[in-house]
Amino acid sequence: MLATISRRGVLTGTAALLASTALPRLALAQGGGRLIVAADSEPRQLNPAIVASNGVFFISSKVIEPLAEASYDAGGLKPLLATGWEGSEDGLSITFTLREGVSWHDGTPFSSADVAFSAMEVWKPLQNIGRSLFANLEAVETPDPLTAIFRFSKPTPLQLIANALPVVSSVLPKHVYEGSDIVENPANRALIGTGPFKWGDYRPGEYYLLTRNDSYWGEGLPHLDDIVFRVLPDRAAAASSLEAGEVHLAAFSSVPLADLDRIAKVPGLSVVTKGYEALTYQLIVEINHRTEELSNLKVRQAIAHAIDKDFVLDTIFLGYAEKATGPVPANDPTFYTPDVTTYPFDIAAAKALLDEAGYPEGPGGTRFSLRLLPAPYFAETRQFGDYLRQALAAIGIDAQIVPHDAAGHIKAVYTDHAFDLAIAPTVFRADPAISTTILVRSGQPDGVPFSNQGGYANPELDALIDEALVTLDRDKRVALYKDFQRMVTADLPLINVADWSFTSVVADSVTGVATNPRWVVSNWAETGLSE
Amino acid sequence: MTRPFLRRPEALLGGAILLALILIAGFAPLIAPGDPLAIAGRPLIPPFTDAGLPLGTDRLGRDLLAELIHGARTSVAVGLSAALVAVFAGMTVGTAAGFAGGAIEAALMRIVDAFQIVPGFLLALAFVSVAGPSLWVVVLAIALGAWTGPARLARARVLSLRESDFVAAAKVMGMSPAEIAFRQIMPLALPPVLAVASVIVAAAVLTEAALSFLGLGDPNSVTWGAMIAEGRNQLRSAAYLSIIPGIALVLTVISTYLVGEALTDSLTGRDKR
Repeated sequence: MLATISRRGVLTGTAALLASTALPRLALAQGGGRLIVAADSEPRQLNPAIVASNGVFFISSKVIEPLAEASYDAGGLKPLLATGWEGSEDGLSITFTLREGVSWHDGTPFSSADVAFSAMEVWKPLQNIGRSLFANLEAVETPDPLTAIFRFSKPTPLQLIANALPVVSSVLPKHVYEGSDIVENPANRALIGTGPFKWGDYRPGEYYLLTRNDSYWGEGLPHLDDIVFRVLPDRAAAASSLEAGEVHLAAFSSVPLADLDRIAKVPGLSVVTKGYEALTYQLIVEINHRTEELSNLKVRQAIAHAIDKDFVLDTIFLGYAEKATGPVPANDPTFYTPDVTTYPFDIAAAKALLDEAGYPEGPGGTRFSLRLLPAPYFAETRQFGDYLRQALAAIGIDAQIVPHDAAGHIKAVYTDHAFDLAIAPTVFRADPAISTTILVRSGQPDGVPFSNQGGYANPELDALIDEALVTLDRDKRVALYKDFQRMVTADLPLINVADWSFTSVVADSVTGVATNPRWVVSNWAETGLSE
Repeated sequence: MTRPFLRRPEALLGGAILLALILIAGFAPLIAPGDPLAIAGRPLIPPFTDAGLPLGTDRLGRDLLAELIHGARTSVAVGLSAALVAVFAGMTVGTAAGFAGGAIEAALMRIVDAFQIVPGFLLALAFVSVAGPSLWVVVLAIALGAWTGPARLARARVLSLRESDFVAAAKVMGMSPAEIAFRQIMPLALPPVLAVASVIVAAAVLTEAALSFLGLGDPNSVTWGAMIAEGRNQLRSAAYLSIIPGIALVLTVISTYLVGEALTDSLTGRDKR
């Protein structure tokens, strides 16, 4: 999902042109169940064990499986490579029981050695999320081929690890990666996994092809013969390809929201919002607390009051989003609390707060100027940037938009700290400890994307985060994270504006759609095509 | 017989549109006061349905007419500034090369060649990507690809002028070579370059729009290219968002081109009829 804007801009035309001429043979041969999917980006790194991001999962999750997948059922998890997991009383170990009769695509049997290798050599040292999540992981013991015992140096809640399993636990084959440079291994391109589909082919700018794994462990699965991801970076092209019947599925809102009403009326196509529940994106305003004006709580409160969330929902997200009250989205069944400080849209209150803070209106109505850096990854973040500039102008803050491409934005905000306000699309991943508390916890090294790089430091909040990280009792843990939401909304280290998710446009012939809350990035073993 | 500039119909038509455009651009803050990016009403009001917002509103509810008027400002400013920079740089290099001759001329003209073989738009794209988008970077980026035309023209003109008697006279009077080149010869080499300038303006307006369309314009000012890019996502449901700035762009480029053609014809004495 992270394509650089300038690169994307340049490539859009050429790639759309290429895509329109590509695959004539593939597109016609649909009899045996070939699902054709629109892909809006081409990740350079396809290994989900190293880069745990949705853009990578979208393609690679069909080939490389995690220990467990998210589920709509009670408990929220469906066993994949692990059939069971149990934590010890002291929280210092977790025992995974692994599935029998699983083999890698090259025929080698899957065993606990693969899990131990993946955890110690890949997830912990290399993975973007695993680096912090498995920081206390000391060793993985493998008493027999179907048991893996994770040993931690500090008490680690089973709830946290279980919540993180679908995202962090993609298992790699030890025999392919051992003794090589893992990051540069050719298998990161031509993936080898245990999943329902095998790696087929990749033509840059054209398509990815995945073919059926005939020896998949799931009985009678998968239903499809193969999956083609057609590279269609142009959003308008995705919509017309669907209408022309050349593509069965466009996920991750690759059809522009403004076009959805029209597309929904096209016979044979449906708009599906289900299947993204565990992929909630949060639209947040990151604040640089080194900026004198913004270190003042009253100024931050004024900014929060100046944002009309109803307007943002209606015009930018066209209703496909929810208002955010705090750092945990309302659709989270476990941790969310609405009992937090809220900031209703109120320009008069915002102006009064700025006056109190000692920033009176100067000539021309301007109080002070700020640099605003909207993340360029999504149309929504850029549009919200345009909106926020106007919303701030209404209370006398002159915000100048500083545009960057994706790489430049990451560097400017997270390494150089050359921003006052930034707009980020962060992801809530089922547990606040996975990728949410890092947004406000102090002491993050420079250059870590989507972490607290605004110089905010609140010892009380840090202590709370640290305590929750080693609290084993479920209820106590939940209570601590509710306190966390209250503290964040009261002190506003950042401002949560909206929680949004994606939509898929699917042809009616596709069956088994949105069967779990991470459906687009799950393995699609149960997805099929009807005539 | 060459007709004077003002008696050409294409010059009158183009001139009228261009004049109107320059007036609109110049008086934009009076015609559409306030911030053109301010949210003025409901989003996506179609054109000609609301008297207060005659051209309707875009996705965020911004007044399309105000955006269009202030967009003219950007287009005119960028077009004229880029042409000015290109003509100035081109004239200087071309005159110096033509007058100095020898190794200096060869070196300067190879630099001109080097710039000329790179497509102007790619050059601008690369320059803006590196330097970061702001209005003056965009102007410079466009001029970077446009100065070679004036340079070649100026050199050719200077080559013939430097053999003139008045140059010899100036030498006898003891004027320094730089003085002769830039005070005596350059003004006389100007007319043909001026005729090219209008083509540069038209190209600059288009290049600026294309850069903005690709997201490389200055996001803090309204530009037609950015408006078209914004509207593209709603092309199927609200085509007017792209069509209205598109028409404005076409009119500007055509009128500049017409004026340029007429100017070339009367300055060079060329006449089709």
